[in-house]
Amino acid sequence: MIVNQFLVLGALLFSIGVYGVLVRRNAVLVLLSIELMLAAVNINLVAFGAFVDDAAAAGQVFALFVITVAAAEVGIGLAIVVLIFRNRSSANVDELDLMKW
Amino acid sequence: MSNIDFLALGPEIAVTAAAVLLLMIEVARKPSARVWGWIAGIGIAAALGLSIAGWVLGRGTDANLYFSDMLALDGFSAFGGIVVFTLTGIGLIAGWGLVTSLRRRGAEFVALVLIAAAGMHLMAASANLIMLFIALEVASISFYVLAGITRNRAADEAALKYFLLGAFASAVFLYGIALVFAATGTLSMAGQESFLGETILLRPGVLLAGIALLIVGLGFKVSAAPFHVWAPDVYQGAPSGVTGFLAAGAKVGGFAALARVLTVPLDAYLDDWAPAVAVVAVASVVVGTLLAIAQDDIKRMLAYSSVAHAGFILLALTAGDAGVEAVWFYVSTYALQVVGAFAVVAAVSGPDTGASPLDSYAGLGKRSPMMAAGLGLMMIAMGGIPMTTGFVGKLGVFRAAIDAGYLWAVVTALVATVAGLFFYLRVIVRMYMDAPGGDAPALEVGRGPAWAVGITSAATIVLGIAPWPLLNMLRDALPF
Repeated sequence: MIVNQFLVLGALLFSIGVYGVLVRRNAVLVLLSIELMLAAVNINLVAFGAFVDDAAAAGQVFALFVITVAAAEVGIGLAIVVLIFRNRSSANVDELDLMKW
Repeated sequence: MSNIDFLALGPEIAVTAAAVLLLMIEVARKPSARVWGWIAGIGIAAALGLSIAGWVLGRGTDANLYFSDMLALDGFSAFGGIVVFTLTGIGLIAGWGLVTSLRRRGAEFVALVLIAAAGMHLMAASANLIMLFIALEVASISFYVLAGITRNRAADEAALKYFLLGAFASAVFLYGIALVFAATGTLSMAGQESFLGETILLRPGVLLAGIALLIVGLGFKVSAAPFHVWAPDVYQGAPSGVTGFLAAGAKVGGFAALARVLTVPLDAYLDDWAPAVAVVAVASVVVGTLLAIAQDDIKRMLAYSSVAHAGFILLALTAGDAGVEAVWFYVSTYALQVVGAFAVVAAVSGPDTGASPLDSYAGLGKRSPMMAAGLGLMMIAMGGIPMTTGFVGKLGVFRAAIDAGYLWAVVTALVATVAGLFFYLRVIVRMYMDAPGGDAPALEVGRGPAWAVGITSAATIVLGIAPWPLLNMLRDALPF
């Protein structure tokens, strides 16, 4: 089995996610980009899990855990974004400038 | 293989049961805040007792692994438990004013603190990278909510910044785990240790990239430069009653995880990661010290000072196994100092507000001699002046780094220590030399902050003058 194509896909997705986090100004889209990064890691984990071929299927199991944790994280994240939107009627991360060094 | 031992999981069971019980009683009975305090107190005391039992049984031996090699019970995890649960107790006492000011939502706050404590202890006790990731997220997600618990504009900004950067760092950390998994073929730390000890990787690139990403991800959690940008905003925006717990908890959990990941599975690659850690350490010390000088809000100043302290602690890690003792001493005593300092901040500017300008500390020596003395002592300890734990901690850290051959890093850190005295002593000058602005009345201090400051001050002085009990305990606990 060739693992490279999965790794390239994973790395590309991860990079797109990083790009999104850096460029997007809407908090929801930043959140989506972070999800993209987690999905990229999942592809890697599943690919490595199949490639390593251990009986415990650690890679696949880990991917399930990551999906669950990502869901919990998004739940909290969206709640915080809703709170921000209620307080400021905007979810633009550039407007979060109450505090600066 | 799937050996089950509930003592290894005991502390988590105790605090989680307390959190669940608290929420259920809250829904059914709507009890007073006193009842929350009792439930949380019993849970934390039980967890602390179980950690001490784990220390008695597990110290000095090699790690005993439980639950299919997911959890380790050894001196490291047990000492981590003792530190984490002590800290949680003092943090709750210091922030009790915030709990009562939240009215009915105070129950959620207490439950979240307990869950975060479970996550922090798991970070010290994980023996598998899956477990470590879950533990990290349990603690971090609780922290995001705690930072924004008052729901005002400063707190929501702190929560969102913490959340976005924290989730980003978690993803980076996860990518690192995936690469280490790819290189070693297992997620168990013991398995990785034996694999890397026996095998010479012909092309270690994947492993090294994985290590780098792990250091970045955990470096974010402990707010080491250049991954520290969230710290000042979160410290300043989060309500003062919880900032101390957030700051100390993130440090303790993060360094426990970092020390275990770097010295257990990746020990064989010490020569590859130690220089990177040294560079991050020096960057943190320099950046933290320089930017702390420019602050006029005490919480931002403490945030940048915590970046510098993260650097000092990282210095000890460059020694690998030999530095773990210094890491634990520094981290545990520094955590107490931070909780004590933020207890004073909560007393001065209110437990539910964010900002705490340095001007409001002018003349604190007259308005509240006890709080001023407590904050002054914490500043002296953080500055590393003898007769306090800060000095003993710095000594251990510097010695570990010199033994590892990083003299240049130690010299830089020493210069930064001297420069750092400027902003620590400035707070003391403000408190004792300046007159209070306007007609500042005597400060009313609640019992919570008073107790928290008293306990942390006593520990800082006693362990600063006679550190041997703690040092011996650490030497006993760690099998290295």
